[in-house]
Amino acid sequence: MSSAWTFQEESSGLGHLTFDTPEMKVNVFTAEAVAELSDLLEDLAKRNLKALAISSGKSSFIAGADIKLLRTVTTTADGIEKARLGQNVFDKLAALPYPTIVFIHGACMGGGLELALACDYRVVSDHAKTILGLPEVQLGFIPGWGGTQRLPRLIGLEASLSMILTGKPVAAKKALKIGLAHVMVATEFMQAEMERLSQDLAEGRPPRLSRRPPGLVARLRKAVLESTPPGRHLLIGQARKRLLEKTKGLYPAPLAALDVLEATATGDIQAGLQMEAEAFGRLIVTTESRNMVRLFFIREALKKESGVETDVEEKHVQRAAVVGAGVMGGGIAWLMSHCGIPVRLKDIDWDAVTKGMATAASYYQQLVRIRKMVPDEVALKMHHISGTTDYRGVESADLVLEAVVEKMAVKQAVLAEVENVVSPHALIGTNTSSLSITEMATALKHPERFAGMHFFNPVNRMPLVEVIPGAKTAPATIASFVAFARRVGKTPVVVGDCPGFLVNRILLPYINECIWMLQEGIAAERIDRLLFDFGMPMGPIRLADEVGLDVGAKVTDVLEAGYGERMQVAPLLKRLAAEPDTTGKKAGRGFYVYEGRKKSVNPRVDALRLELAREHALSARELDDQTILRRAIYIMINEAARCLAESVVEKPDYLDMAMLMGTGFPAHHGGLLAYADTAGIPGVVETLRRFAEEFGPRFAPCERLEEMAAAKTLFYKKNGGTDNDG
Amino acid sequence: MKERLAIIDGIRTPQCRAGGVLRGFGADDLGAIAVRELMLRTAYPESDVDELILGNVAQPVHAANIARVVALKAGLPTHLIAHTVHRNCASGMQAISSAANKIFSGEAEVMIAAGTESMSNIPLLYGPQMTKLFASLARAKTLGQRLKALSSFRFSFLKPIVGLEKGLTDPVCGMIMGLTAEVLAREFQIPREEQDAFALLSHQRAAAARDAGRLAEEIVPLPVAPRYERVQEHDDGIRDDQTLEALAKLRPYFDRQTGTVTVGNACSITDGAAALLVMSESRAKSEGLEPLGYVRDYAYAALEGNRMGLGPVYATSKLLAKSGMKMKDFKLVEINEAFAVQVLACLRAFESKEFAKQYLDRKTAPGAVDPELLNVNGGAVALGHPVGATGTRLVLTVLKELRRRNQNCGLATLCVGGGQGAAFALEVT
Repeated sequence: MSSAWTFQEESSGLGHLTFDTPEMKVNVFTAEAVAELSDLLEDLAKRNLKALAISSGKSSFIAGADIKLLRTVTTTADGIEKARLGQNVFDKLAALPYPTIVFIHGACMGGGLELALACDYRVVSDHAKTILGLPEVQLGFIPGWGGTQRLPRLIGLEASLSMILTGKPVAAKKALKIGLAHVMVATEFMQAEMERLSQDLAEGRPPRLSRRPPGLVARLRKAVLESTPPGRHLLIGQARKRLLEKTKGLYPAPLAALDVLEATATGDIQAGLQMEAEAFGRLIVTTESRNMVRLFFIREALKKESGVETDVEEKHVQRAAVVGAGVMGGGIAWLMSHCGIPVRLKDIDWDAVTKGMATAASYYQQLVRIRKMVPDEVALKMHHISGTTDYRGVESADLVLEAVVEKMAVKQAVLAEVENVVSPHALIGTNTSSLSITEMATALKHPERFAGMHFFNPVNRMPLVEVIPGAKTAPATIASFVAFARRVGKTPVVVGDCPGFLVNRILLPYINECIWMLQEGIAAERIDRLLFDFGMPMGPIRLADEVGLDVGAKVTDVLEAGYGERMQVAPLLKRLAAEPDTTGKKAGRGFYVYEGRKKSVNPRVDALRLELAREHALSARELDDQTILRRAIYIMINEAARCLAESVVEKPDYLDMAMLMGTGFPAHHGGLLAYADTAGIPGVVETLRRFAEEFGPRFAPCERLEEMAAAKTLFYKKNGGTDNDG
Repeated sequence: MKERLAIIDGIRTPQCRAGGVLRGFGADDLGAIAVRELMLRTAYPESDVDELILGNVAQPVHAANIARVVALKAGLPTHLIAHTVHRNCASGMQAISSAANKIFSGEAEVMIAAGTESMSNIPLLYGPQMTKLFASLARAKTLGQRLKALSSFRFSFLKPIVGLEKGLTDPVCGMIMGLTAEVLAREFQIPREEQDAFALLSHQRAAAARDAGRLAEEIVPLPVAPRYERVQEHDDGIRDDQTLEALAKLRPYFDRQTGTVTVGNACSITDGAAALLVMSESRAKSEGLEPLGYVRDYAYAALEGNRMGLGPVYATSKLLAKSGMKMKDFKLVEINEAFAVQVLACLRAFESKEFAKQYLDRKTAPGAVDPELLNVNGGAVALGHPVGATGTRLVLTVLKELRRRNQNCGLATLCVGGGQGAAFALEVT
């Protein structure tokens, strides 16, 4: 087997070390590569070099440790050992008796950055792809090869906290600014600079910093905050507060990273490394970490998924049109313009068109506020959107997305109009959250070029798009919609054409169930609090208000019509939605009443509840926390199992990712089905049976779940593996 | 011209008073919107367009060769060449005639001819003293030199040069445009009342045209950047409540003591843009297109700067001689209303034998213009005069109205600051 590392020595005494993992597209630290480097460094330490230059033999630097290697770790002791192994290798690198310089172009992540940190000088290219980061917490563990030790010692505690706790990488320019890199060079001159800077170093001239030293205020601030115990205490305290707000304490990795940084930011590095290794070992075997690593693989797999089995040619969209300039239409137009695709935005009058453009402008405004864009750039992007009230300028689009009101007849009429004006080859899509694509397609002469494309609201924040083929949709159309969704930066999941498709079909029974519980007398705040603490981004009752009771009622009606009794809409929802001006947050009144930043329970909810109780002679009942939580979650599991049984979605992996991206289902649970596996399928089925008797037949476990419980199988393979391990 | 120039279609933005609704759009933005809308409405393949020519008077500092900026902002292909033309108030027409020249010399086949102006965004400038101070500051190397430079500062240095005002002033005769209009009032003895009556008619006709939807046929409504909280569908200079009494109350603006020209009987400072897709008549035929109309011929003429308002008479006289046409051939006439008095002066000059003999080198007058055929949908007094775009708009307006009236031949003419005139003979069949 060929080796990952090659060493060359020049007559000048300059050594070159090149990393090139054999048979891989990117450099990763496999077990072999780590062992090889270890041996090589033993040898190098004995050589009498003037300097050592390290670079990558591939088009990018180092993606990190081989995650598959990490997944073979099954015990904490094993985890600690793996960490110590890497730490020792990088210790050897740091201890070399001559200066070392590393050249970074492309991604420098995890173990890659830990290697770079063990060198004396770091040079980065100014390429957009050059990013440096320690993303470990996103996989549920912490950097284990010295990252938590060498980073704060180099760039200080504050900057390290922001890199390690979020796992977000920094770009080359930022790396230079925070002192992570010494020199930034033009990408095109990287090779020449590499030779020059290494040669200079070998001749005793270290590289000159290509950044200006920080100003007096910045230095003072750093001195006070980082070099004094009270300053550090303040920094750590603030970081912990922010972290708990963001993660609700559900994610152990960033908290562990914080503890390690707090305990070891000063003092002996060896003690720090030991603590780092122990925390790493503890975290790497947690369920949370396994779940997050698995989700990482699913995400990678989805990036490559074409959505169809056959090899078809995708259509490249050059200009698009959106018909219907509501919040969704405006949001989709924003998305397209943001990705540089010219889009014609049509509605019936100019006020409506202007509202759509205002939606787009407001999304851009958010980017300006967080300094991701400047107003001139926004003006340029907004030029991609043009409005119209007739079909002029829509004809030339090669993709038309209809986003008008959720009414079958209206949508069909609009689609027929669209088909009359566009070219026979244009793709036509509908943005719908619940209507049948196959039925809608009957309005078209060429249903083969038509599919559903369900964007989630708000379009600028929600990463998921459900692509829904109808019965007559051609494979090339599916592939084209999938490719388009990916091009505009979304994650597409192909789902079946059933009422509610995938995400809403599973999510709405959950919201509905919570409204049933509300109707039974459980306080809205309690339900919301319990599910928020479970990890959902917001409670289900608040979510109903956010979505809008009018919108929600429409979709739940579709679901009830489609699935019958088990999706019977909670009467309380119907009653409340029928009240005047009660459409949820947008009207300031739904299950809650919104006044400014405050919200309180809408008194009408209780009145309606009592009214219903009288009519049906019901009495309020008390439920314990666990029952509330299980009713909310298990009803989703039941429906999710049905979706799998009916092949609404191809794999459990994609279902879990869709729920994660579409509803914010908490990642540390690994997804809805992974959660079901962890809870135990027989137990889930047993509970569902009990609920069916106690609360209604809608809980009756579906066939698939019954079979799984009987056969003792899981949604995922026992070892936590997935079907698509590469 | 050896062949007629076909105008396939055209579009314009609403024209709005400067400093108002459209101030958030630069001239390049307005031009881009008009051009993009033109291309989307005609659905003509962008890749078949050879060049974009754009007329613009107050060329913005942030958009050197604004034509190219307009092309790119409109989303036209990167390889499309573009250049900017300037003949002051006739810049929009210059774009059309320059396109014709390129097409009939065989250098191009399909062109976009456009005009744009954002008079809202004409900057104020530092005067020479402040400029000098900045220059010496930049040159200063020591603290002493720097202090010395700073010590020359006087508050009077901060008095800005108003770019708009300078642009509207003829640097040779030294007169601002309004004063050249007063020259014509005196030369032709046109009383204030007649000017005000003409101004009122302009508003009335414009309002009627707007209400009947005639103006909307040439306008693309504009959702207003940067917040898009409202949409501008119409020109906003039309005063529905304009009266002779209100007009009579206004004080003369340029010659405060003896003048007759007020802000009420002059055009307003305006933002707007217009764009046309043009090609040779034969190319249009071979593609099976039905053009909106044709440019049969055109002429530019020059005269004394302080009488620039008579430019239409000079240019039209030259056009008649060049094309062999007669005044009565024109069933519709647009004379741009820079000033009411200036149009009235033109009307008198057109029918004056003496004027013809003295100034136009003709034995007979070019011929009277029927007031009923003149500026039938209102003119710049009501609609505004975005200088770089007006020439383009006039051509568009004449062609659309000729079609509505089922007439064939029309004249679009305007006066040009600095002492020129432009005249275009237009046909629809």
